Amino acid sequence: MNNLILEVNDVAVSFGGVRAVNGATLDVEVGSVTSVIGPNGAGKTTLFNLISGATKPDSGTILFEGLEIHNLLPHKIADRGIIRTFQGAKVIKRLSVLDNLMLGGQDNPGDSLVNFLNPKARKAYEVQCRERAMELLKQIGIERFADEYAGILSGGQRKLLDLARALMANPTLLLLDEPFAGVNPTLVEKLLEVLHALRSKHNLTFLLIEHDLETVMNISDRVIVMAEGRVIADGKPNSIYENQAVIDAYLGTRKASK
Amino acid sequence: MTALMQPGFWVFILTMSGIYGIFSLGLQIQYGVGGILNFGHVGMMALSSYTMAILIISHGINFWIAAAAGVAVAALGGAFLGLTTLRLRGDYFAIVSIAFSEIVRYVIYNSDGLTGGVQGSLAIPVIGENYPSYTDTWDSIMNRARDILTPIFGEIADREFVMAIVVWITLGILLLIVSRIERTSWARVLRATREDDEVPAALGKNVFRFRLQAVIIGSVIGGIAGIYWGLESSLLSPDDFLTLVTFYGWMILILGGATKVKGLPIAAIFFGFLYGGSRFFTFWPFSHLDASQRAYVRIMIIGIVLIILMMRRPQGIFGKRQEMVLE
Repeated sequence: MNNLILEVNDVAVSFGGVRAVNGATLDVEVGSVTSVIGPNGAGKTTLFNLISGATKPDSGTILFEGLEIHNLLPHKIADRGIIRTFQGAKVIKRLSVLDNLMLGGQDNPGDSLVNFLNPKARKAYEVQCRERAMELLKQIGIERFADEYAGILSGGQRKLLDLARALMANPTLLLLDEPFAGVNPTLVEKLLEVLHALRSKHNLTFLLIEHDLETVMNISDRVIVMAEGRVIADGKPNSIYENQAVIDAYLGTRKASK
Repeated sequence: MTALMQPGFWVFILTMSGIYGIFSLGLQIQYGVGGILNFGHVGMMALSSYTMAILIISHGINFWIAAAAGVAVAALGGAFLGLTTLRLRGDYFAIVSIAFSEIVRYVIYNSDGLTGGVQGSLAIPVIGENYPSYTDTWDSIMNRARDILTPIFGEIADREFVMAIVVWITLGILLLIVSRIERTSWARVLRATREDDEVPAALGKNVFRFRLQAVIIGSVIGGIAGIYWGLESSLLSPDDFLTLVTFYGWMILILGGATKVKGLPIAAIFFGFLYGGSRFFTFWPFSHLDASQRAYVRIMIIGIVLIILMMRRPQGIFGKRQEMVLE
């Protein structure tokens, strides 16, 4: 059981009268690529918000590396090594592209005001951080925009930036909310390459939400299907294709299954 | 019209510009970098100047310690304001911050036994028999400096002249420190929080800590302005600290360009001359107004300047337009 990096146990949360997540249970293995799919309103993004601490569960537990995290504030969860991207990509529009990336740097001595009086430590980190950021910018092919405000980037470029910024934070578990939606196919290929390289090099674990079934089936070790706030199927990509509950959920028919 | 010709008057304007400039610099780090709408900034000035005056007059404490304590109390005021209300979203924080500075003012107004109440610092209870002015130590320093400077600069180097120099040197040093702070990664995180809470939090940044620190730094700077304010006027009254003063600070900030500090001193001088010089608006069409009406003209002009700026040049004199308007 030690190879589980994330365990979500019977988690539920309501917004007003809506049970957005209604007793979801799932786990993620170390070093795996696990995808969450499901129709709109299935509770996928809410699940991400719960894991990253942006939303607190009404009930249930979430364990990361065996420790409870569901009561922690988002920045504490990020400190533990869970880094997320946002649906539709969030960039800080009035910061430069480079600054957006450097924002992802962890344990930056310059983030502490006390170190204002320690310019050496600050600068050493900044130089290193900038190098790393430029490297990532090259990898995602937008290094020419490094000094521009991120607000001028296109939707696809913002996605890349959001992803690269998450990588800057050296996560152990990366939560990607629809990373490929709206990104052109050649770039998706490239992104996948980058992610694969990271995975083999740093033993990074991925949990992602994706709508494009073909991509999901190709890249995932495991697929979790959600509908109406619950996990309705969980298994290898092949088995998901044949699962009656999944077909029902996606086609919208309502047989009384189970 | 004679006052217009006296250099001393313009030196006074310069001093006031510098004090307002320092005051506004506190808002710059809060709003220009952190996006925090603090409309209660004048409260910090009230806290520091009254703390200084009370400690000197009622407790006979050394001027330098009293001044430092004044700034410290302003910092505590900022910490209190931040800790209690900074979790509110931007516009709600703005409203509560106005309430904060008004509470400070009303407490001063009604605590006769401590602050002298409506009669101002003249009525602060005295220990001993002689009435000490809280500016005694400062005045003797200014006079000594004047005696040194007069042989060099001639007649013009009076006490006010020295004061103007000290205030502007302070502003210069503070501008340097703040612009350095604004180049650190601390400021980068703060700039990110200006737009969004979720992204910095998801990257492990404690957004609340950064905002709170920005408010406290701004309050310390506002507190320093308060000390100079007290020393310059040598008499404090609760009505010195109306919310209007906060908005003067805001005007300088917007005029200079909120996101950068370099426009701030120029904006402060512009404001000072408009504020102090408008009493000389005796020419047409202002000649139709009497003196008391003319006093309001400057406020109207300041309002018009702000409106035009917001429409034509939201980034101020030096700010980057994109950093203000990019969506």
